[in-house]
Amino acid sequence: MTMEIVAEKKDALEVKLETLSEADLQAILKELERRLSADEAAFVHSCVRCGLCADSCHYYLANGELEDIPAYKLNLVAKVIKGLFTAGGKIAPGWTGARKLDRDLVRQWVDTLFGRCSGCGRCTINCTSGINIAAMIRMARGALAAADLVPPELQSTVMTAVNQGNNMGIPRQEWLDTVAWIEEELQAETQDRNARIPIDAKGVQFLYTVNPREPKFFPLSLLAAAKVFHAAGASWTFSSDYYDVTNYGLYSGDDAYAGMLSDRLYQATADLGAEVLVLGECGHGFNANRWEAPQWLHKRPPFPVKSVLEIIAAFVSQGRIRLDPARNQAPVTLHDPCNLVRYGGVIEEQRFLLKRAVADFREMRPNRQKNYCCGGGGGQLSMTRYAKRRLKAGRIKADQIRKTGAKIVAAPCHNCIDQLSELNREYKLGLEVKTVVEVVANALVLEPPAQL
Amino acid sequence: MSLIQLLRVASLASAVFCFVFLVFLLVRTNALGRRKLFSVPRGSAGRGVVYAFGPGMMPWEKESAGGHLPTFIGGILYHAAIFIAFLYLFWVNLAPASIRPLRIFRIALFMGAAAGLALFVKRAVKPHLRRLSCPDDFFANLFVDFYLVISLCHTYFPRGEPLLLFSAIALFMYIPLGKIRHCFFFFYTRVLFGVFFGRRGVYPCSAPKA
Repeated sequence: MTMEIVAEKKDALEVKLETLSEADLQAILKELERRLSADEAAFVHSCVRCGLCADSCHYYLANGELEDIPAYKLNLVAKVIKGLFTAGGKIAPGWTGARKLDRDLVRQWVDTLFGRCSGCGRCTINCTSGINIAAMIRMARGALAAADLVPPELQSTVMTAVNQGNNMGIPRQEWLDTVAWIEEELQAETQDRNARIPIDAKGVQFLYTVNPREPKFFPLSLLAAAKVFHAAGASWTFSSDYYDVTNYGLYSGDDAYAGMLSDRLYQATADLGAEVLVLGECGHGFNANRWEAPQWLHKRPPFPVKSVLEIIAAFVSQGRIRLDPARNQAPVTLHDPCNLVRYGGVIEEQRFLLKRAVADFREMRPNRQKNYCCGGGGGQLSMTRYAKRRLKAGRIKADQIRKTGAKIVAAPCHNCIDQLSELNREYKLGLEVKTVVEVVANALVLEPPAQL
Repeated sequence: MSLIQLLRVASLASAVFCFVFLVFLLVRTNALGRRKLFSVPRGSAGRGVVYAFGPGMMPWEKESAGGHLPTFIGGILYHAAIFIAFLYLFWVNLAPASIRPLRIFRIALFMGAAAGLALFVKRAVKPHLRRLSCPDDFFANLFVDFYLVISLCHTYFPRGEPLLLFSAIALFMYIPLGKIRHCFFFFYTRVLFGVFFGRRGVYPCSAPKA
């Protein structure tokens, strides 16, 4: 009986779509209008539907479906805006491609804008006009959020972070215990009983934030960063409460929640008097906290917000740490997380580090700003309903990696690492997937602690 | 005032109407407001804009251009021909017939019209592109192609001037109403692209290659 009930239980999003009311449609339109600025209006006027963006999208390359073409996705949104705000769209909607928002269109929005886009922005840099298609899609996601039409798996990730302080719902004590355990590991590895992982230390230089997947599933990632900070003699700390660098509000399109999550990190940095907010290896966390949060919060943080890669690259440049590439003999390639590289501008630091930390570094083709998305961004990893599409679209990345012949793929992003690990299994790549900091930590030349 | 003189004045007036309408659209778009950017720049917005209108348009920099060279070249020829056709129209209106560089006009207009028609055929034949398009996409293309052909014919048959002027008036009236308005908004969007990626130090990359 219970099983039958479970089997018959309808998906909450499907129920919502089936019972969509006029009030829901109005809520979507109201939010769309609220968010429509000159930029988005110009984008609507600029798209000529040339379709040249198609090949830039890994979804289209893998599936070849009309719905995967970025211009198609853009026009799902643009046609509603045209219908509402342009004379041509009001007078001759059929002629100009304008359309009124209705249930069918909302269903298409949800399926296409959430289910066929990782927000990687590769279409944006390839658009003939330069339209920020990913930004348009995020705007529409935000409008859907106003009517509770975010896929529940994604929304629950946002709400877990909002309600529990991190997106994995790790209790505070578990976090503190993990850090204490990693501190013991650090002391063992460095053979230095004074090696510390500070928590809530005041007046330090760096407040370091991480993806909660690290304490939960990849604690060695924490250890790697701690080793590097220790070797550099850095003054740093974790916060006991707000250490989650991720921000799934970027993906759900909900600026209010997104701003709240980023503000906690800003507040923690200010409360501890840290000089720099250091964002761990998380692509979207970097974009959210470095670039988008100041706009969400309408304020400029009174301290620099930097990627841990920028910090470690500076350690190497300043001679504060030494790396021995001979310690990483296997060929290594580098994945460029879209939010860190194409949308973040952190492009060369990871290369600078890897070229000094590994014996055989191999670039993918294309690379840097033009690299393909792994397929794990845009909230795709949390939206399990679209997992098949995600893995299929990931074939482009898998092929790219295979061509390098590398045995290790370094990715400065934990979402990318999850997707790459799945691609590794799905496409039998036979790889090790690591963070950049893990590779760097493995090459660290640790000075023996001073004898007392 | 003769019919030709009347049409000449009307064509110039419609060009002014077109320009004013596009400026109005631009002002109305701007009136929606631009988000204030609070994040600390990593690169330069100005350098980004230079990139957006320079290297960022090149086929070796943009996959969508490099991977579709015939379309890219066709697009350049087509758009160049449109501007040349408008130049020709003003020449017809304002300059003596004896000093028209007809050969240059003819070559440009012929190549542009051919490229425009090729783009039309591509849109009509490719299933995804066809389904992506609205009637305005086809009509605007054909309308402009027609105008290029009329301009080309006029270089050979100056007596067909009323037809050239009529079609110019119709085209100028249509431009702000449909997709051809992108002729203005393209530049707006490229500036936004340059500012966005320039500030973030993405294009051009703010760090030297490692």
